[in-house]
Parts: sequence; C-alpha cells; structure tokens
Amino acid sequence: MSRDELPSPGPSLGSDPFGQGDGTLPYLIRLRERNMRVVAKPVSRRARSEPREQPQEPPDLGPPVPELPSFDDRDESASALDRLAGLALSSSDEERLAQLVQSIGGRPYDEFGLSPRVTRRALAFFKLLYRYWFRVTSSGHSVIPEKEGAILAANHGGLLPFDASMIIVDGVLAPKPPRMVRTVVDRWAGTLPFVNVFYARVGQVMGSRDNVRELLRANQLVLIFPEGMAGVRKRAAERYVLQPFHLGFVEESLRHRVPIIPVAVVGADDQAPVLWDVQPLAKLLGLPFFPITPTFPLLGLAGLVPYPVRYEIAYGEPFRFYDEFPPEALEDPHAVRYMAERVRRRIQEMVDQRVLARRSKRA
Amino acid sequence: MRRVLVTHVESPVGRRVVKALFHDPDVSLVVGLGTRPEPTFLAPYRGKIAYQRIDLAKSRHLQSFLHSERFARVRPDSVIHLPFAVEHSQERVPGGVPSLVSETRRLVEESVEQRCIERFVYLSSAFVYDPVPGNGNVVSESQGLGFDGDGDALVRAWIDADLVCQGELHGSNLRMTILRAATIVTETGEFLNSPPLSHPEAPLGYDPMLAVVSDRDVARALVLALHADRPGVYNIAGREVFPRSQLGAPPPSSLFGVGAAWLERLVRRAPAPGRSFDRYGMVPSGRLAHETLGFEPQYRIEVRGLGALRRIDTVRCR
Repeated sequence: MSRDELPSPGPSLGSDPFGQGDGTLPYLIRLRERNMRVVAKPVSRRARSEPREQPQEPPDLGPPVPELPSFDDRDESASALDRLAGLALSSSDEERLAQLVQSIGGRPYDEFGLSPRVTRRALAFFKLLYRYWFRVTSSGHSVIPEKEGAILAANHGGLLPFDASMIIVDGVLAPKPPRMVRTVVDRWAGTLPFVNVFYARVGQVMGSRDNVRELLRANQLVLIFPEGMAGVRKRAAERYVLQPFHLGFVEESLRHRVPIIPVAVVGADDQAPVLWDVQPLAKLLGLPFFPITPTFPLLGLAGLVPYPVRYEIAYGEPFRFYDEFPPEALEDPHAVRYMAERVRRRIQEMVDQRVLARRSKRA
Repeated sequence: MRRVLVTHVESPVGRRVVKALFHDPDVSLVVGLGTRPEPTFLAPYRGKIAYQRIDLAKSRHLQSFLHSERFARVRPDSVIHLPFAVEHSQERVPGGVPSLVSETRRLVEESVEQRCIERFVYLSSAFVYDPVPGNGNVVSESQGLGFDGDGDALVRAWIDADLVCQGELHGSNLRMTILRAATIVTETGEFLNSPPLSHPEAPLGYDPMLAVVSDRDVARALVLALHADRPGVYNIAGREVFPRSQLGAPPPSSLFGVGAAWLERLVRRAPAPGRSFDRYGMVPSGRLAHETLGFEPQYRIEVRGLGALRRIDTVRCR
C-alpha cells in the first residue's frame, strides 16, 4: 500500500483532549479505517464531480406499460360526494373554481388549510342554497379588484354565518374574473371540533393579525365583519342596525394600502331572528351567546335551519383612506375610529336603502 | 474564511450542515462535535472537517475541550448549535431533555467568554410559539412564546433554550441568530422537531395544519445565517403544508376508535390529550428569512397515501 492510497489525515489540530492514555484505541481505529479504505479506495473530489458515464439514449422498448393504481388512490378517485358536486356545478363553475385554485400553485393545501377538493364540494352545496334557498341577487361587482387585495367590510346577522357563505359563493360565481373571498372568523369557531377543520378547508381563516397580513400580502380578498359577535347576537328588534365596529380592519387597510369595500347584506338578519340571548346559559355552556329564536331550541337542531329569505348583496364604492390620510394616522386612535365610523355609516345607508325598498315592494 | 464549530453532527441535520460547509468555499475548517464515536459519513470530508467526541451536557467535557491545544489551534469564529434536531422522543435524548437546555446555556456562556467566537447560529423549533385556535394559522416571529405550560417537556425545553439564546440577541459581542424551523422531514421520510406527530392519535374533530421543511433546506438556511451576519430570529418553513392526519396516523374515524384510544391511554396511563399542538395548526411564515437571509426552500415535500401506505418524498424544485 503506497502512501498515496492512505486516507487524508485531516487538518492538523493538535492532540485530542479525550484521547486514550496508552494510545491503543485510536491506533486500532485508524488501523481498521485504513484497512477499510484499502477495500474502498478514496475517490478524489475532482473524480467524483466528473460524470462517470455519458448520458445515453434510452433503448427502444415499445410503448410504456400503463401505470398501476398509485398509493394515492383514495385522493385521486372521485368519491360519491365529488360526483354529486359535479352534478351541481356547471362547466363554467368548474372553470372559475379552477382559476381560483391556481393561486395555490398546485399544492394540496395552502398555508391556512384551504383544500381545492373540499372547496369544490362545499361550493356545490352552497350554490344550491345561493340559487334556490336564499335566491341571492347581487350588485356592484365592478368595484371588486381583479387581482389586487382588498378588505370587504360587511354587516353581520343571522344565527349561523350564511351571510359569509353567500358572499363567498357570490365572489366565485358573479364577478369577472372570479375571486376567492377569505373570511376572517371568530377565534371561538377555531376551538370547535369539526367546524375548525371545515372552515379551514374552504378557505376561512381565524382572526389573527398575522393571518390577515399574510392574506393581504398575497393580494387576497379578505372579508371582515367589523361588528364581530355583537352583530350575530343582536335581537330581532335591532335588525339591520349596525353595532359598533372593531377597528382592526382600518388599521390593516392603512398598513397594507388596500381599499375597504363596504358590503351590505340584506336578508341575513331575517333568517333567524333572535328573540332573547340567555347569557347565564351561555356562560354555563361556554358559548358566546345562547339564542332563543322562534324555532330554536323548540325544534332542536332543526330549529337552526335558516328561513328561506331572499338575500341581497351590494358592494359599495371603496374607501381608500391611505390616499386621504398620512401614514401617521395609523397611530392615531381617533383618526382610525373616525375612518371606521365612516365605513359603518356607509354600510348602514346601503342597508337602509335596500330594506326600505324591500318593504315598499311588499307594501 | 470561517472556522466553524458544529454541535450534534451525528444528527440528520448535522450531517447536512457538515456536507454543506465542506463545499462552502468561505469556510476553511469545520469541527464537528458529537457524543458518539466518529461517524463514518465524515470519512470523505476529512480534508476540511475534524471530529471531536464530547458530551456538551457535561461541564467538564466542555471545559477540557475549550482549554485544549486542539481548540487553541482551531480558534473557531462561529458556532452552529443543533441540540434539538433529533427524533421527537425523550427516550432518544441521552441525559434527558433538560440536559439539552443546560448544554445550550453552557455553550452560549462559553461562546461569550471565548472572544474568538463571533457568531452563534442556533436551530430552534417553530413549536415554541403560542398556538392560536384554528386549523391553520400563519405565525410570524413576533408571535408570543407558549408559556402556558400545556406543551410537553421537550417543548418547554425548546422554549427555555430559545430564551437563553434570545438573551444574547442584544448586548453581548456574540452575534446571535435563532432559526425556528417547522417540522423537519429527512430524506428517509422521518419527522424531526414535531410534537404533534409524536402522539399517534389526535383529538376527534381536529386536524391541524403543519408546515414541513426538508432537512437540506434547514442546513442551507443555517449556512445562509452563518454568512449573512444578520442577528435576529427567523422562521424557516418549506413550501408545503399538510394536515396532521396526512403526516401522522389518521385521526379516529369513529366513536369506537375514540373509545379504544382512550381505553389504551388509560391502560398505559399516558397523559390525556388536550395539548394545543394537537388541536391547532401553526404555519411559521418564512417571509422574514426570505427577505433578510435570502432563504428560499429548494425542496418540495410530497406525501402520498395514508397510514401504513404513506410515502414521503423530497423532490428538488425546478
């Protein structure tokens, strides 16, 4: 064995402070390694970097054998739910949905848990509600940006958030091009088993600043109900009266320089009028509120089914506060409150117009 | 030319880091520290990489090394510390989890003392953050740490060690960089750094989203942090996000399954479920690392199939 065949001794670093006293063990280890090296000759770095063989053309073996079913069968095969969804969705709906899920970039899920497959199923179901149960009419889609991000600020009502789902379906079916609306939901919903998973799979996100910032940076449409839970638990006598707004949506709009589009939803407050909110019972059960409606809890869970009221969704002219106010306004709570109040009043006007028109129509 | 000390080189991430540093022209010498006999994978890299067997959890070992002739000749100017890049199992950590915190504290203190060491890169975990309710939540570096104590011992150790390193972010001559990595996926499909995947079953009705990152990308991020000289805290995450059921065992699909899981838990006297990590998803945002360190994941994680048929591949992005 020549000296050249021996392995590189490594950098000269002095003696090992943990070396054995008699030096036998390191010697034996080195000896064993040298013997092993003789069998497997060390390859120089240059030799390793060079390709060993030139790439060759593959031999002609005829047509490829059809692939056997992969491990991913459960995901790839269309289940009964997928087939049902296919019946409910038209080809144009499928195209619109395909455009939307392109933004995920071919990934099975996005950062928030959105799954294109579950979204397709949910869209098929909620489209039926949109068309035949709530008979939604919508207007003002021209204000929705085609690609840029925006905050949709809407009034909130009804026991269950069908207003949010109708706005989402409207975003997919009505505007050109279609937009995926990502609703910011209350954190309490994130603690509910099954509900938290379903919300995430259809693209809803929990209310945290990081989530909203990430969505706005990704130029998404973010739907926020600035009234919060107060909008849902207001009594029937307060229908279509907007509750005080939280201010976070204005701050995020200023920070990311995205417009706030006011959205008026008429019909949601009629779908399940709350007669009474039994707070002691709500506290006992750990719920934010415990509503009494004409049908709930009288009919049990069936009492939660919304009444088939007509929905009307209207998009108003966007507020671009970042053009009107200097960036320092973000730090001024009075200025932010003023901006939120302007949005609230605008939505209230839009709601009032439509409610009055609806009443006069009935009369 | 940097002279780098890398701890826990025998771990999967340590191997990747050593190989990356070997091919790095700006690194002249690497000394790998590990508790086991010299790993065989280091053999081809001996020209630039030396190995030192040392138990960092023992103060005497560390002191002997720091005052040795070997250390005097090496005079490292940077440290890459990887204490927790091991399988998520306390049994596999010799000396227990608290020893990892004490070794981190000791190493940081000694690095401050040794004037030759200028940079310290520490690999932490994204699970130090306080989970927010919800299936999938993006968390940035400003998110608070989970001090409520419902995490397990390893998570608490991560938080403790993270705080030790954060203490050196400002004020000392050591330039500290903390990388908080998402669930690390090795080439063989093992998961490191992931408490939610340590429990075979999850509470019914929850399926949190988990971000994954390839061990090669983590090694790359560590090397970038070494050279970038931008002290701070950075999240490291890959491109893909998966629900826990797709990475670990699927959640119980029936109430019978839940009952059986509970019965098994009672028999084994294991702690009851309810940790936030098992219910709420957390996806670290890698935006800051991208903008500051220039880190961009170069590997995709592909997961196919479920349960025993699950297959995990690491694919290089085009």
